[in-house]
Amino acid sequence: TGLSDHEVIRKRLLIDGDGAGDDRRINLLVKSFIKWCNSGSQEEGYSQYQRMLSTLSQCEFSMGKTLLVYDMNLREMENYEKIYKEIECSIAGAHEKIAECKKQILQAKRIRKNRQEYDALAKVIQHHPDRHETLKELEALGKELEHLSHIKESVEDKLELRRKQFHVLLSTIHELQQTLENDEKLSEVEDAQETIMEADPKP
Amino acid sequence: LETTLSPQAEVFEALQQLHMTVFSQSVSPCGKFLAAGNNYGQIAIFSLSAALSSEAKEESKKPMVTFHAHDGPVYSMVSTDRHLLSAGDGEVKGWLWAEILKKGCKELWRRQPPYRTSLEVPEINALLLIPKENSLILAGGDCQLHSMDLETGTFTRALRGHTDYIHCLALRERSPEVLSGGEDGAVRLWDLRTAKEVQTIEVYKHEECSRPHNGRWIGCLATDSDWMVCGGGPALTLWHLRSSTPTTVFPIRAPQKHVTFYQDLILSAGQGCYVNHWQLSGELKAQVPGSSPGLLSLSLNQQPAAPECKVLTAAGNSCRVDVFTNLGYRAFSLSF
Repeated sequence: TGLSDHEVIRKRLLIDGDGAGDDRRINLLVKSFIKWCNSGSQEEGYSQYQRMLSTLSQCEFSMGKTLLVYDMNLREMENYEKIYKEIECSIAGAHEKIAECKKQILQAKRIRKNRQEYDALAKVIQHHPDRHETLKELEALGKELEHLSHIKESVEDKLELRRKQFHVLLSTIHELQQTLENDEKLSEVEDAQETIMEADPKP
Repeated sequence: LETTLSPQAEVFEALQQLHMTVFSQSVSPCGKFLAAGNNYGQIAIFSLSAALSSEAKEESKKPMVTFHAHDGPVYSMVSTDRHLLSAGDGEVKGWLWAEILKKGCKELWRRQPPYRTSLEVPEINALLLIPKENSLILAGGDCQLHSMDLETGTFTRALRGHTDYIHCLALRERSPEVLSGGEDGAVRLWDLRTAKEVQTIEVYKHEECSRPHNGRWIGCLATDSDWMVCGGGPALTLWHLRSSTPTTVFPIRAPQKHVTFYQDLILSAGQGCYVNHWQLSGELKAQVPGSSPGLLSLSLNQQPAAPECKVLTAAGNSCRVDVFTNLGYRAFSLSF
């Protein structure tokens, strides 16, 4: 009996869900039908009949409203299902986009790193002078070096020649000096011999 | 479960936290955990996925487990696909990531490189994994780079050339070459196949970047095959390796202790609480403050298995590890 009570309450709540008193109206209809059957005069019966008709139409109106609401609820459920699915799809799409963007960020970071490494090396290279310039300078210096060494050679040759000539001159002078000295010595000896012979003539 | 400590022990713990320095970090191969090593020889494992989740509470920012790993500071850590390798006090130890969250975790193995004398136990400042060879390079106080085969545990070569202790290592994948930077002010490039030094860059000799008042030490090094960025005593500078020319000097006075390439940027940190974001052109794109007065290590979690834990973590002269979810600001800090 407890169970059937529960069922009864459940059914009554279901039937009279919106609390507009439809249940009460149907009960009233039953009562007014009996009253109409038991009505005395024509007038009374007619007014009772009208009252019953209006109650019936109220019931019909309320039922129609409930059916429309039911339809509306069904359609709204469908609509919500659709929106729910759409949102799920866009969430999945957003997840994919995020993963894609993360990959792009990593790629961009790699590119940035490479650019910065390039810049760092380029800065160092800029400090060093241009290779062409340096080569030109090297060439010019080389030529100058050659030229100067030629000059040096010719000057040395000149010096050598002069040295030799001086050497010849000096040795000739020396020889002449020696010859003159020898001649003097010879003439001195001759003079000495002459005086001895004069002083001591042979008998 | 909090055990109530005696007031003395509480004070001691507070002092310990105050004087803590976090030297190294390493992300787990699954990308969900972060290991941090401090100056007391402890390693703490934080759960990044828990701290980053929407239901994170204050406890999620504390370590899941902290254990005593070394007798001295843990200066360097790296992770392979199954192991965590930590080094500091002259020894390198291997731990299994799968076991590390369990209480009382013991090291899988410990190795010590062949030092010249048995008396000296020089600290290991840097570790570098060479995945192609499955070997590990260790460098530090004995001025040599030791390479250890990870499968057999034998030390295969010792690269000599530095005249003072080595601070940092980097791998140039294309060649493959190892770059090392140290207290002697030189960045040396070593060819692993011939075990010879192939290039030397004496940073302090270049006018553009040398800062004699800071010293000539190279504190941090990073390479991107053709390019190298290094800093420390001299200014943080970008070098083109093949021509050995400095191309860009980054205008920051504070010596930098960690530097790394990230996408199209260079991230650096050092003295001062900031993580600096540089463009290769030398422009400072952003300077994001952290919570420690000075930073010693940066770690970028790029493990493909955990894209939701892709964060930058920074640690240094404090007990905190700052977590930057979006590189532009500090989201929160983990703490020992």
